[in-house]
Amino acid sequence: MTKFGVGQSIRRVEDQRFITGSGRYTDDINLAGQAYGYVLRSPEAHARIASIDVSAAKAAPGVLAVITGQDIVAGGSGNTLPCLIPMENRDGSAAKLPLRVVLCTDRVRHVGDHVAFIVAESLSAAKDAAELVQVDYDSLPVAADTEQAEQAGQPLVHDAVPANLSFDWEFGKRPATEQALAGAAHVTTLKLVNNRLIANPMEPRACVAEYDAGGDALTLHACTQGGHLWVDPVAAFMGMPREKIRVLTPDVGGGFGMKAMIYPEYAMAAWAARQLKRPVKWTAERSSDGFLSDVMGRDHVTVAKLGFDADHKIVGMEVMTWANMGAYINLFAPFIPTGAALKVLPGVYDVKNLVYRVKGVLTNTTPVDAYRGAGRPEAIYLMERLMDQAARELGQDPTELRRRNFITAAAMPFQTAAGERYDSGDFAKVMDTALEASGWSGFASRKAASERRGLRRGRGMSYYIESTMGDPQEMARILFMEDGTVGVVVGTQSNGQGHETAYVQVLVDRLGVPFDKVKILQGDSASLPFGGGTGGSRSLTAAGWAIRDASEVVIERGKHYAAREFEAAAADIEFSRAEGSFKVVGTDRQIGILELAAKARAMPAPAEGVAGMDAEATAKIDQWTFPNGCHLAEVEIDPETGVTTIDRYIAVDDFGVVVNPMLVAGQVHGGVVQGIGQALYEHAVYDEFGQLVSGSFMDYCMPRADNVPAMEVRTVEIPCKNNPMGIKGCGEAGSVASPAAVINAIIDALADLGVTAVDMPATPLRIWQLIQERRQPIAAE
Amino acid sequence: MALREQVRFLLGDQPRQLGPLDPTMTVLDYLRLIERRIGTKEGCNEGDCGACTVVLGRIEQGRLRYQAVNACIQLVGMLDGCQLLTVEDLAGPDGGLHPVQAALVAQHASQCGFCTPGFVMSLFALYQAGNTQDEARIDEALAGNLCRCTGYAPIVAAAQAMRTPGAEPDRFQAAEAETITRLAALADDATLCLHGDGRRFLAPASLGALAELLLAEPEACLVAGATDVGLWITKQLRQPDPVIWLGRVAELKQLALTGTELSIGATVTYTDALAQLEALAPDLGVLLRRLGGEQVRNAGTIGGNIANGSPIGDSPPALIALGARLVLRRGQERRELPLEEYFLAYGKQDRRPGEFVERIRLPKPAPDLAFRAYKVAKRFDQDITAVLGAFALRVVAGQVAEVRLAYGGMAATPKRARHAEAALLGQPWDEAAVATAIAALPEDFAPITDMRASAAYRMQVAGNLLRRLHLETTDPAALTRLVPARSAAHG
Repeated sequence: MTKFGVGQSIRRVEDQRFITGSGRYTDDINLAGQAYGYVLRSPEAHARIASIDVSAAKAAPGVLAVITGQDIVAGGSGNTLPCLIPMENRDGSAAKLPLRVVLCTDRVRHVGDHVAFIVAESLSAAKDAAELVQVDYDSLPVAADTEQAEQAGQPLVHDAVPANLSFDWEFGKRPATEQALAGAAHVTTLKLVNNRLIANPMEPRACVAEYDAGGDALTLHACTQGGHLWVDPVAAFMGMPREKIRVLTPDVGGGFGMKAMIYPEYAMAAWAARQLKRPVKWTAERSSDGFLSDVMGRDHVTVAKLGFDADHKIVGMEVMTWANMGAYINLFAPFIPTGAALKVLPGVYDVKNLVYRVKGVLTNTTPVDAYRGAGRPEAIYLMERLMDQAARELGQDPTELRRRNFITAAAMPFQTAAGERYDSGDFAKVMDTALEASGWSGFASRKAASERRGLRRGRGMSYYIESTMGDPQEMARILFMEDGTVGVVVGTQSNGQGHETAYVQVLVDRLGVPFDKVKILQGDSASLPFGGGTGGSRSLTAAGWAIRDASEVVIERGKHYAAREFEAAAADIEFSRAEGSFKVVGTDRQIGILELAAKARAMPAPAEGVAGMDAEATAKIDQWTFPNGCHLAEVEIDPETGVTTIDRYIAVDDFGVVVNPMLVAGQVHGGVVQGIGQALYEHAVYDEFGQLVSGSFMDYCMPRADNVPAMEVRTVEIPCKNNPMGIKGCGEAGSVASPAAVINAIIDALADLGVTAVDMPATPLRIWQLIQERRQPIAAE
Repeated sequence: MALREQVRFLLGDQPRQLGPLDPTMTVLDYLRLIERRIGTKEGCNEGDCGACTVVLGRIEQGRLRYQAVNACIQLVGMLDGCQLLTVEDLAGPDGGLHPVQAALVAQHASQCGFCTPGFVMSLFALYQAGNTQDEARIDEALAGNLCRCTGYAPIVAAAQAMRTPGAEPDRFQAAEAETITRLAALADDATLCLHGDGRRFLAPASLGALAELLLAEPEACLVAGATDVGLWITKQLRQPDPVIWLGRVAELKQLALTGTELSIGATVTYTDALAQLEALAPDLGVLLRRLGGEQVRNAGTIGGNIANGSPIGDSPPALIALGARLVLRRGQERRELPLEEYFLAYGKQDRRPGEFVERIRLPKPAPDLAFRAYKVAKRFDQDITAVLGAFALRVVAGQVAEVRLAYGGMAATPKRARHAEAALLGQPWDEAAVATAIAALPEDFAPITDMRASAAYRMQVAGNLLRRLHLETTDPAALTRLVPARSAAHG
C-alpha cells in the first residue's frame, strides 16, 4: 500500500479550488455575446391555454426572442423529452407514459409548467418582458393527491390516460405469496407514506448553450451527472446528428439524482442559441424555478403484509404501492418505484415468497424521478418499519427477529426472491459491531436519565442493503501528457464526491505514478465514445474498474517499449507497481513509467495501434454491488412540544474495500443527514389546488447545522466479489438507511402510549398530536 | 449640501470608486457580473441559504470589525466606507491558505464546494470575532448557511479546529491599523448620490442632512439593512427611486442606556442591540437570536423591522409589550407616540411624507414586571413566525396591576389584545382569569388562514401562549421551553 494509494484518507485535490472560490460551476461561465433566457411558468396547476400573446413582450427593450411551444412544434421537432424505461402492465398491456413537454401549447399540468422562453440582452430585460406575455388560462379541476388520483371522478391529468393510471406493474409470485400469507402464524400489516422530497442541491440548475453556425454544431455547458446521457435527447430535440452535440460539464454543486436528467429549459436554451446564433444562458432561481421544475423524489403510499411462521421466520411479503409520477413521465421515473425498489425490497432477509405491485399515478404536480437512493430508500424504509412492527407484535427483540431472518454469510452468493444475487455480506457481524459500538445494552439507564428530565427516549435500528451500479459499462483512457503528467479521461461526473482524488488513488495503486502528476479529466461528452455518468453509487466501482483495466493495457504496452529500450525480450520485463517502474528481470536495469512514456512517443508502436503508452479500456460490469449496514438512532422527544432530537447515531457499513475512508465517511454523513431531513423536516406539500405550499427555503425545511447529531461512522470490510477491486458503492447508503432508524426510534419512544406508526416527516406538530390523542385526560384543556 | 457621486470602498485591499451605477444593484450582482468575482455563489437569492455570504469590515470604536452578510440582499451603495472581503481574498498572496480554509480541508468539510465560499466567509467572521469551541455558538454562526452534502458535522469540527490558542494574528489582524487608516480616509460629510438608469441611491452622512434630504424627497424609499427591501428588488422586481440609505448616519446607530430607558437608534442592528436588550429582558435576547441567520441579524435593524410594518415582524410585538415609544422626525420637528399606534393597517404606518424613525425609547422594565416573548414557528432557527405572543405583566398582591399583551401574526399589524388585557386587569392572576382573557381574544383578533397556519390554529395558539405565561409566572419549575438556559422559547 503506497502513501497515496487505495485505503488512505488522502485530502482532496478538489478542495484547493473550492475553498478559495476558484471552483467553476455552470453559472460561472460567461461567453462573448451571451444572451439570457427566462422561463415564463404556469401559475395554474391545471388549465387549458386559451391563448398566448407574445407581441408586447417581443417588442420590449432588449428582447431577442420569445419562444413558445407553437414555435417548437412548427420547427418540426418533437416538443417532449424522453423516458428511457420500457414499461409493461401486469396484464401485459403497454404502459401509458405521457412525456415531459418542453413548452406547453394547449394545456398546463402543474404549477411551474413551461409556457414561454424569453431571451434578452440581460436577465432583467427578459424578466420585464415576461410580464408582458399575455396568457389566457381556463382553469381545470386538479388531481394532486397520490392515493386519490386513480379514484373515480378525479380530474384526468392526460385525457388519454384513464384513471390517471400510467402503469400498473407487478413482480413476483402472487398465488404462492398469498398462500404463504394465508398459512402464516402471524401477519404484520402496515400502511405508510414515503413523503415527497425536493433534492435542493446548493447549486441551482444552469446551462449555457452555444451554437456554431458554420459547423452546425451545438455545445451545451450544463450541470449534469454525466453529459453522455444528454447527447441523444438533445440531438433528437434539435433534429441534429448526435456527432454535432457536445455536452460539457464543469464543477457541479451537488446532484443527488436530480441533475442526471435533461430538462425542458436546456432544450429551450439550445433551441434559442441556434435561432439567435448567440450563446444563451439560463440559470434556475431557487424559488421561482428550482422548487417548481426540478424533479422531486419519493412520494409513495404503500400497504404491505409480512407473514411469519411459528418460529418467527418470514414466509411471505406482499406489497402494494401507489407511486406519484407527477404530471409527466420523466427520464427514469417509472423505474424508480418498480425495478429499482424491487432490487432490495426483501432487504437482508430470506423472504421466500414475494409479490410487489406498483401503480404509477399521474397528478397535477411537478414530475418525480430519481433522488439519492432512488427506490431503495423507499424499499428499505418499508421493510425496516415492518420488521420493527413485527417484533413488537410478536413480543420479540427487534435485533433477534432480524438475526433470525438474516441471509447468512454462509449462504452467499444468495439468490433473492426479488431476482438479485447477493454476492457477499455478513449481516450478523455488522449488526453485532453496531450494537457494541452503540452501547445498545446501556440503553435502559440512558432512558431513565431522559425520563428524569421529562423526555421520552427511544432507539431504532435500520439494517439496509443497497444495490448499486446503473449503466453496466464504463470506459477510461489514460493519457501520458507532454508535460510529464498523466491524464485519466472518464465518463463519470463528480458532483462533489471527490472523484478527482479517489480515482487518482486507484491509478497510483496500479501504476505507481506520483499522486500529484495525475489529473482526472471528466465532463466532456466528446472525449470518450460513451460514459455512464454518476448515479446509483456506481462511479468508483465502474470508473475505477475501467481505470484499473486501462492500467493493465498501459503495463502491457510499457513492457513492449521497455523491451526495446533495454534490448530485452518483453517476457523478461516486469512492472513494479510500488515503484512505478519497468525492470529487466534479474538485473538492476529499470526505467520509470513516466520516463518510458516520454521516450515511447518516438519509438515504434506495438504490432497494431498507435504510438506511445496511452491506453484505454472498457469495463463490462454484469454484476451489481450490495453495500449494506446497520444504522442505529437514539432519539429524545419532548412530550410537551413534540420536538425530536437525535441524541446518538451510529452507522456501521460494509462497503467492501474502502479506497479513501475520509471520502466514504463524508458520503455516509451527508447521506444520513439527507435521510434525517426526510424523517424529521422535509416535505414537498401541495394543497388541493395543486399549489406547492412549501416552495422556498423558508417553507421547505432543510436540515441546518443545529439539527444534526454527532455521528459515529465505522466500516466492516467484506470485499465485493463482483468486481476486481472488491468495492461496494457508498454514495446513497446513508439516505437509504437513516429514515427507518430515526422513525423506528421515535415509535419506540412512544410505544408505551400505544403509538405503532408515525409517518414522515415527524414534525413537532405530528408527534405532539400523537401524544395528545393518547393522553388521558388531555392536559390543560 | 455637498454631493459625492461615487461609492467608495475597499474590495479586499483594492480601492474601488464606482458610479454611475444601477442604484439598486445588489452586492452579489456587482461581484459576479461587474467584477467577475465568481467565487461568491447565488443559492437562493433571498437570504436563506448563505451561499453568497461575504464579510464587511467597518471601523467601530477605533477597531476594525468584521461581520458576515448576505450579498444577495445588500445594495452596492451600502458598501460605502467598508472593506468588502470575499472568498477570493482569504488565501495569502503566496497562495497560503487562511486557517479557516486549512481547517475546512483537514476536516473534509467541503464536498461539492458550492456552499463552501459562504461557509468559509461565515467562519472567517467567527474567527475574527474570537476563539470559540462552543458548539451552540458555532451552530448559531452557521444557522444562515445551508449545506446539502456534508451533513454539517465536519464543518462544525472545522470551526472548532480553525483557531489555535496563541496563534499569530492572521494577515487581516496584522493589517488592521493600515486598513483602518485607509477606511478612515474614505469617510466624508458629503451626501452620497449614486445614480444610474435614471434612478438614485442617496446616503446622507449626518442626521441633519438626512432630515433635510427627506424634506426634499418625501416619498423616498428608506433603507437601513435592506434585508426586506433587498427582496422587493430581487423577488418583486421593484425599482424604488430614490433610495435613501440611513447607514452613514452615526447618530442613528447609537444605543444609549440611562437610568430609566434604553434609547435605540433607528439603524442599530439586531446583532448590536442583542446584548443590551437581553440584559433588560432575557426573552428579547432569545427572540432576536432566532430572527434570521447571523448574516440577517448583522444587517437587519430594529428600526427597519418597525418601520416597514410587517404583520409578522418579530421585534414589534415584544417592544410594544414592553411599552416602547417611537420618536419620529420630520425636518427639525419631532413627535413621539406609543409604538402600537404607529401601525395603522396592513402596509400602512403613521409615517408622514418626509418623516423618518429616529429612535425607539424602551423604558427599563420595573423589577417586578414579568416579560415573556414566545415565537411559534416550524423550526428553531431562521424561520418565519406563525404566531408571536409578547406579554408584560405585573402582579401586585395576587392581582393583575399592569398588563400588556401584544401579538404578531394575528392581525394585519402587530397589535395589542385590548379586550383580553381588560379581562385581566384588576383580576386575581389565576386560571379563571386567563380563561376569561382567552375567551376575549376573538374580540381582539380575527386572524387569517395562510400557508403558515390556519386561523383556528392561530387563535388556539394565541390563547395557549397566555396559559404558558400563567404557568411560567406561577410555577417556575414548569417545563415550558424546548431549549433550556440561554436559548429558550421555541414555539
